Amino acid sequence: MGKIIAIHSYKGGTGKTLLTLNLAATYAKMEKRVCVLDMDFRAPSLQSILQLDGSEYWLNDYLNGTCDIKKVLIDYTSQCNCGGEIFVGLANPATEALRDMSSKDRKWEMRALGRLLSLKNTLLNDMELDYLLFDTSPGLQYSSINAIVSADLVLVISTIDTSDIEGTRRMTQELYDLFEKKTAILMNKVPVEFLSSSIGKDGVYKRFETVHTLPILKVIPCFCDVLRSGGITVFSRDEPDHPFTKHLEDIAAKMEKF
Amino acid sequence: MSKSFGESSTVLLRKIKENLDALNEKMEVFIEIQKQGQKQNFVMQDLPEALDVMTLLSLPDHLRKTAVAICKLGRATAEEVSEHTKRARAVESGYLNQLVLMGYLKKERKGRKAYFFVEK
Repeated sequence: MGKIIAIHSYKGGTGKTLLTLNLAATYAKMEKRVCVLDMDFRAPSLQSILQLDGSEYWLNDYLNGTCDIKKVLIDYTSQCNCGGEIFVGLANPATEALRDMSSKDRKWEMRALGRLLSLKNTLLNDMELDYLLFDTSPGLQYSSINAIVSADLVLVISTIDTSDIEGTRRMTQELYDLFEKKTAILMNKVPVEFLSSSIGKDGVYKRFETVHTLPILKVIPCFCDVLRSGGITVFSRDEPDHPFTKHLEDIAAKMEKF
Repeated sequence: MSKSFGESSTVLLRKIKENLDALNEKMEVFIEIQKQGQKQNFVMQDLPEALDVMTLLSLPDHLRKTAVAICKLGRATAEEVSEHTKRARAVESGYLNQLVLMGYLKKERKGRKAYFFVEK
């Protein structure tokens, strides 16, 4: 059976969406069937990043219980052109939808959790997807915690920012541990000087592992090319020899065994 | 005559067994309540609204595990929950009944089986 991976972070701007999309494309390149759901209902971004016209049905509709999840999914395989199969589910970026999603009560959130949990059956079992990736909202939002509870494993993205590291550590202890989630940390945008310092690459991994008390899946250096790409480049397709692509392939392989 | 007596005694024995099962389940709840020393929490006047993630976070670890299992399974017996959590059936039965008393779960009997679920 496939896996549900929630990509989360304590703070915004850690590179979650770019990593989620590129990880999905990497899996597609490995001939996997993969789906990305935009669970960031406060700041939806998949539609604009993928330059899609929009959708008749949004993830919001599925969580509201007004449509089936299959009506939400858009087949992005031909546009992605990375091999395998790739589907996306978009969050509605309209202001009215953002307002609506921020005013849901606890009963609605409970039903939303039930609907997310049922995706394991509909998407992994029925549609035989290999990976379902949740691109979540940063911090302790209802939608993010629902996604985390529904996921098989969580990939937490952190930068080297002190407040990010401290917040991530606290969040993993006070949230993930309580739900007994398999969790791995990915340090992103790490300055190259760190990795070439006297403690070396292994030393950097050890240092972060000591702070987080969780396995560090990968330390990705800060690539100016990636920042310049504006978050819309599919590296595994457009830049197959880029070091960032190699990092993604490594992450995908590690996540498969995790 | 003897066949009819045999049938009625079977029915009687089954009824006794069902009542003993129900009694056993109630005992498990009382034992659990006593163990946790939280009897005062079970006053039914202040029922919670929903078993959402924030509520799950506020539950003690042992009950959270049971509640998450029910959220995943949808509707399940203590036996099915125990298969999921890898804890003893009697333990899960106690926790499930505790969650029912706390107002987070509903319980429905179908024949000899008791099903637990979250009311949507």
